[in-house]
Amino acid sequence: MIYLELFISFLMIGFTSFGGMSMIPLINDQMLSHGWMTAQEVADIVAIAEMTPGPLGLNCATFAGTRTAGVPGALFASLGVIFPSLTVTMLAAMFLRKFKESRLMEEALFGIRPVCIGMIFAVIIQQSMVNYAGPLLGFVSWQAVVIGLAALVMLLRFKWSVPKTILLAAGLGLALGSI
Amino acid sequence: MKKNQMGRTLDIFKTFLKFGCFTFGGGWSIVAQIQKEYVEKKHWITDEELLDFTSVGRSIPGLMIGNASVLFGYHAAGIPGALAALLGIVIPPVAIMLGVVFLYDLVKDNPYVDRAMTGVRAAVVPIIFSALLKLFKSGMKNAYCYLIAAGAFALCLFTKVNNVLIVLMGAAAGLIYQEVKSRRDLS
Repeated sequence: MIYLELFISFLMIGFTSFGGMSMIPLINDQMLSHGWMTAQEVADIVAIAEMTPGPLGLNCATFAGTRTAGVPGALFASLGVIFPSLTVTMLAAMFLRKFKESRLMEEALFGIRPVCIGMIFAVIIQQSMVNYAGPLLGFVSWQAVVIGLAALVMLLRFKWSVPKTILLAAGLGLALGSI
Repeated sequence: MKKNQMGRTLDIFKTFLKFGCFTFGGGWSIVAQIQKEYVEKKHWITDEELLDFTSVGRSIPGLMIGNASVLFGYHAAGIPGALAALLGIVIPPVAIMLGVVFLYDLVKDNPYVDRAMTGVRAAVVPIIFSALLKLFKSGMKNAYCYLIAAGAFALCLFTKVNNVLIVLMGAAAGLIYQEVKSRRDLS
C-alpha cells in the first residue's frame, strides 16, 4: 500500500537524520529507490524548500507524498517525518522535567548551554555564506547585505517581531532586485 | 485537563500556527520567536530553559523545530501542550507546500518569487543573531563556558562530528567541571 510505504520511508528518514541538509542524501536514496522522484526533482525540491517556511524534511515529505499519492499521501509522509518528535522527543521532555531538579542534570546542562551557543554561531556563519553571496561564493550581493542590515536594525533597535521583519525583507527584496 | 492547562494549550496552538508561517532558514528563527513571545512577553520559560530545549531538540533525531516545539509545549502544558505546539508548527508549512506543488511551474524560476526570497533569506541571519544576543548571557557563566562554546563552534563548522556527540561532550564537560570545582572547594 502506497500510504504505508510513504509513511515508513519518511519514518526512516526522520529517525536516521538530524534535520536540515543532513537529510538530503537520505531523501535522495529513498526517492530514487522507490521511483517516486527523479534526481532532478530532488534538486528542485531542495531549492523550493528554501522558499517556503518549514524544515526541509517536512517540505520534501509533503512534495513527494502529493506527487505519488495526492493529499493523503502528503499527510502520511509528513506524519512519518514528525514521528520522532512525537515519540522520542516526548519521552525526552518527560525525562527532562523529572530530573530537572537533580544536581547531575544541572551540572550537565551547565556544559550543554554553551554548546548550544557555539552551534548557533556556526549556523550563523553557514547561513551567511549562502545568503549574502552569489552562486558558488563568486561575489557578495550588496542587496542582501543592505536587507540584512535593515532587518538587524528593525529587530534590535525597534524591537520588531520576526514575521514583520520577514515581510519587510521580502518587500525590500522585490524592490531592490535579486542577486 | 485543568482550566489553566487548557488555556495554555490553546494559546500555544494559536501562537505556533503563526510561528509556523515564518520558520524560514531551516527553522532556527523559531528560537527567536519563542524567545520574544514566551521568555520576554509571557514569562513562561527562562532563557536557560530555551537553550536547553534547543540543544536537546537538536540532538534528537528528526526535525529540530518539531523537537524544540514538543519540548517547549510539554514543559508549558504537558502532553496536550506538546501536541498543540507540534501541530501548530507543522500545519502551515504542509499547507503552503501543498499549494506550491500545484503551482510548481508557476513558482519555479519566477523572477519575483526569486527576488522576494533573496530578501527573506537575507533576514534569516539577523533573526538568529538577535536571539543569540539575548541567550548569550544565560549560557555563558564563566570563562570555562567560552571554551566549551568555542569548541562546539569549531566542531560544527569544520568537522562532520555528529551533533548528538557534540551535545554529549558538552554534558561531560559540565559534569567534569562541577566535579573538579566541588573537590577544590572541599580541600
